[in-house]
Amino acid sequence: MIELRDIRKVFNAGKPHALTAVDGVSLSLDARAVTVFQGPSGSGKTTLLALVGCMTRPTEGRILLGDREITSLPERFLTDVRRTTFGFIFQQFNLVRGISVLENVMLPAYPLGEHHTALKKRARVLLDLFGILPRESSKSEWLSGGEAQRTAICRALINDPQIIIADEPTAHLDTKLSREFMDIVGRLKTEQKTVIIASHDTLVYGSPVVDRVITIRDGKIEAEGR
Amino acid sequence: MILHPAIIALLVSSILITALVLFAFWYGVKILRFWDLRSGSSLQLDLERRTYLISTVLAYVFGFQLVSLFLLIYTADSLSTLFTGAMCAAGTFNANDYGYPLLVLKLINFLLAGLWLTINHADNRAYDYPLIRKKYAFLLLLAPFIVLETFLQARYFLGLTPDVITSCCGSLFSANSSGVGADLAALPAVPTQYVFTGIMATTTALGIAVAVTGRGGYAFFLAAGAAFIMGIASLISFISPAIYELPTHHCPFCVLQKEYGYIGYLFYSTLLGGAVTGMGVGILKPFRSIPSMAVIIPSMQRRLAVYSVLFYASACLLTLVAVLRSNLRW
Repeated sequence: MIELRDIRKVFNAGKPHALTAVDGVSLSLDARAVTVFQGPSGSGKTTLLALVGCMTRPTEGRILLGDREITSLPERFLTDVRRTTFGFIFQQFNLVRGISVLENVMLPAYPLGEHHTALKKRARVLLDLFGILPRESSKSEWLSGGEAQRTAICRALINDPQIIIADEPTAHLDTKLSREFMDIVGRLKTEQKTVIIASHDTLVYGSPVVDRVITIRDGKIEAEGR
Repeated sequence: MILHPAIIALLVSSILITALVLFAFWYGVKILRFWDLRSGSSLQLDLERRTYLISTVLAYVFGFQLVSLFLLIYTADSLSTLFTGAMCAAGTFNANDYGYPLLVLKLINFLLAGLWLTINHADNRAYDYPLIRKKYAFLLLLAPFIVLETFLQARYFLGLTPDVITSCCGSLFSANSSGVGADLAALPAVPTQYVFTGIMATTTALGIAVAVTGRGGYAFFLAAGAAFIMGIASLISFISPAIYELPTHHCPFCVLQKEYGYIGYLFYSTLLGGAVTGMGVGILKPFRSIPSMAVIIPSMQRRLAVYSVLFYASACLLTLVAVLRSNLRW
């Protein structure tokens, strides 16, 4: 479903402090499966995740989403792909302070121009599904770690994306919440979603819901498991 | 050289435009030589990123290029008080040998820049850069004209001295003089009015046909070009005398002055707008067969045809008002 062909990503290319974060990676990621990029800090897994999620462009190589080549797309088309195909869960959750949980969840859908009432109803269904509907009016900064995490997941799902991308989603969570997160990932998998996670947490890549673990080191694929 | 703020603005802006066009020219050569969308090489990916930047820069540069035509005419008009014999921009452009060639080139570049912007707009609406080679090949063709314009403009302004005795518009656009202006002034008014009406009616009919059926793009391209030329000829032949209410005064520049409500700017804007949008319909026509353009181009052509018809209809309306309000009768 997602194919990476000879992907290289060099930051500050051509300068003395150039850094090759991803170095000649080629791989295919299956649809409706959970894939984890695993590796030490600085190994390039977050960059690889950003490349797959169209948040950055490669220095070299091509990425195909289904039959469509996406690295050459002009920015406004790429924005559309990013908005409708991917849902993102960030390490720090990146909830917008000062606005409510409900508004945070609805935010990525605003550019699509859906009717506000219908959107609000959909967002509330999601919040209910993840058990945080009672907190819908709370400001995001008042949430506990688990609530913030579930809000971030709801926000990632608001546009009903095919692919969920999560970057170190359990980095700030205790063991109970991390397990809870992986249970949610399992639920997303049963709903035919593709989930791609970058993590060096054993609770993540050791979870039974994970179909494939790809170990990254120095920007290259070192090993594959499962 | 006369130190006038508008002259300095025009010179500086034309140098900047030339520098940016030459920068884009360099990338245009690289794109024509190395562009290969199937390749994932770092050069190809770099070109893909650059072209986004360059087409944005060029859109602004050529946008200013369009406006600068009017700034040049306005400047020439406002400088006319400095030259003995000049009454309007006609005399200022005649103050040295570079004035009229500059004006003609500026008009040509206006049309070419407008057509480049049309192609660029179409290309940017597709996801796979279908017109990239065409638009950069067009840029390579356009760039020498832009450089020549900067050269002529510099020679023209640097060669202007206030003590020059120049001709007034009355002698430059007189039926008894020689030259293109005089030939146009000598056109018989009534037959010219019939030809003007005929060409404008034909252009409108073809434009409506393009807007409704999507067909007749090339014919409309020719008609829109002919309507522009006929519009300028008519302005000199009978519209200007109607506005001045003086059968011997054919100047196409005095209409730009305050005494005539700056109506000339409206005339030129509508004629140039009609020409660019109308010719844009034809220039896009060959690209309809490209798969990613199959939906984009027909809708763009229809919209451009409507704009062109509206521009030319506005020019006709201005002409009608000028002729009907005038006490001059032929």
